[in-house]
Amino acid sequence: MYASESAKAASASESRYRITVPIAPARNARVIALDTRAASVARRISDGPWANARFYTCETTPDRGPADEFLLYRLDGVPAALDDMLRDTDVVVIMATDDSGATRAAAIGSACTARAITTAGVVLGDGFEADDAVAALRPHARVLLLSADESDAFELLRALRV
Amino acid sequence: MLRQDINELLTQTGPGTPMGDLFRQYWIPALLAEELPENDSPPVRVKLLSERLIAFRDSEGRYGLIDEFCAHRGASLWFGRNEGSGLRCPYHGWKYDVTGQCIEVPSEADNSSFCENVKLRAYPLVKVGDVLWTHMGDPAKRPALPEFEFAHVPPEQTYTSKRWQQCNWLQAFEGGIDSSHVTFLHSGGLQSDPLFKGAKGNEYNMKDTKPFFEVADSEGGLFVGARRNAEEGSYYWRITPWVMPAFTMVPPRGDHPVHGHFWVPIDDENCWTYSFDYHPARPLTAAERQAMIDGHGVHSKNIPGTYRPMANMDNDYLIDREAQKRGETYSGVAGIAMQDASLQESMGPIVDRTKERLVPADSGIIKARQKLRKAAIALRDEGVTPPGVDTAHHRVRSAAVVLPQAESFLDSCGDAIKATPGVPHSSV
Ligand code: FES
Ligand SMILES: [Fe+2]
Repeated sequence: MYASESAKAASASESRYRITVPIAPARNARVIALDTRAASVARRISDGPWANARFYTCETTPDRGPADEFLLYRLDGVPAALDDMLRDTDVVVIMATDDSGATRAAAIGSACTARAITTAGVVLGDGFEADDAVAALRPHARVLLLSADESDAFELLRALRV
Repeated sequence: MLRQDINELLTQTGPGTPMGDLFRQYWIPALLAEELPENDSPPVRVKLLSERLIAFRDSEGRYGLIDEFCAHRGASLWFGRNEGSGLRCPYHGWKYDVTGQCIEVPSEADNSSFCENVKLRAYPLVKVGDVLWTHMGDPAKRPALPEFEFAHVPPEQTYTSKRWQQCNWLQAFEGGIDSSHVTFLHSGGLQSDPLFKGAKGNEYNMKDTKPFFEVADSEGGLFVGARRNAEEGSYYWRITPWVMPAFTMVPPRGDHPVHGHFWVPIDDENCWTYSFDYHPARPLTAAERQAMIDGHGVHSKNIPGTYRPMANMDNDYLIDREAQKRGETYSGVAGIAMQDASLQESMGPIVDRTKERLVPADSGIIKARQKLRKAAIALRDEGVTPPGVDTAHHRVRSAAVVLPQAESFLDSCGDAIKATPGVPHSSV
C-alpha cells in the first residue's frame, strides 16, 4: 500500500505503465558550418543517425559579391539559397570555430529570427578566435554552447532528436 | 534524449561503477555537523554511494565513518554504545575505533592479538563549515579538503540544511543548472519568499520569460548564463556555476544571501540535497536565519527529528489547488525546494531519458551530461583525475548582473564569478 497517489505514481514498479509510443524525430534541423574547420566537423558528424538533419557549409567566396549574399552549399557541393534552406525547418544549429564567418552568422541569425526558427550556436574550440562570430550570433541564438568540441555538437543534435 | 546505456552510466554510483568511481575521487558531504553534536553522541546511519555506513564522534571528538555492520555476525552498529573512545556492538561487545579498527573482543583472552586483524571498512570524516565531508576513494589519491566558500566564511555568515530526495541524484542535480524553469515553477516565490523577494532582478525575471542561454566550460565544470532583457541596450544575466560532480549555485537576488546545493547520491534511487545560504561579506540577520530554519528560500521544512520534508510524496506534497488558482504558487506546492523536488520525484526513481524531448534551452543539461560521461570514462580508461578535484576549482560564485548587450558574460564577469573572501557577491 502506498501512502498516496504521488508515491504510487512515482514508484519504479508503476513505471511500466507509462505509455510508450515511438517518438517522432522532433526537429527538422539544418546544421550550418560557418568556416573551414567547422565544415570538416560537419562532414564528420553528418553521417550520424540523423532522421531529418541536413548539413551545409558556407565557406568564403570572396569573388561572389557582397558578404550577405553568400551561397550555402550542401555537403555534396550543390549550392543552396538561404531562403530555400530555411523553408520547413524548425531549428538551425550554427557551428563556428573562428571569426571568418561573423558576417554570415549575423545574416543567418537574423533570417532565422525573422522566420521564428529556434537557433543554437555551437562554438568549437576555446572560443577566443570566434568572439566576433559569437557577438554576431548572440542576439539570435536561443543558446550558445561555448568552448564546445565535436562530441558536444554530436550530442546536442542527438539530444534534440534531429 | 539520452541513450539508455549512458543513462545507466550516469545514474549508477555504487562501488565499482564508473560514476561511483568518479564520485569517489571527491570529498562529498556525508552528513551535517549538527547530526553529531557532541562527543559520544548517538551514532548516525549514513548511506552514501550505495554503501551502508555508521558515523560517530568518539569521546575525544574524533569523527569516524565506518561499515555499519559488526564484523562478528553482522549486527548494525547503529545500536552500538558510543563510549570510551569507541563504538561497541551491544550484541557481544566487540568494539571499534573511528578508523574501523576493532579494539576489543571480550570473548578472547585478555592479551589476544585477534582483534588486530579485524578492521571494518572506514572513510575519513572531516568537519569543514557546517558539513562533515568524506572521501570514499583511494587514500593514496586523497585530495585537499574542499574550499567552497559557503563552508569557509565565518559561522555567523552561513547556514546549511539538507533534505532527503526520493529520486536519483542526476535528475535532482539537473534542476540545479536548469535556469529556464524558474520563471514558471518558482514565480510565486519571487514575489513572496522572504529570502528572494524585493530584488530588482526579479522584475527582469518576470518580465522576460524567454531567456537566452550561454553555456561555457570552466576548469571545474560549467558556467551557465541565462540572459533576459533589461533596460534598453542591456541584458540581465544570471550566472550559475557547476563544479563537478555535484555542486551548483543559484544566482543571487539583491542583497539576499546567495545559495546553492550539493547533490549527493544515497543509492541509485535516493539522494541528499544539501542546501546552503551564505553572505560573503556580513553575518546573516536573525530574520534571515529564522527564515532558513523555517524552510524558506532553497531550504525545506522537515519532519522534526528527521531530514525528510514535511511535504513529501506520501502526502501529495500538501498540494493546494486554491493557492495555485490564486497565483500564490505556480504548481500548488509551497516552497522553492519542494516545488523542485515534487516534480523531480514525479519523474520516477530514475527517469527514462530515452523518452525525453530536449530543446536548445536544455543545452546546459546536455553539456553537463557530456562532461560527466567523458570524465567517468577518462577516469576508468586512463586514470585521469576529473575536473573539480583541484580545490582551486571550488572558488567560484554565482552572479546576477546587468551588462551592455554587446558584452559577453564571461569576459565581463571574471571577478564576479570568483570567490574572493570578504568581497560581496555581484547581485541585482
Ligand atoms: S515542461 Fe518541462 S517537464 Fe514538463
Ligand atoms: Fe528550482
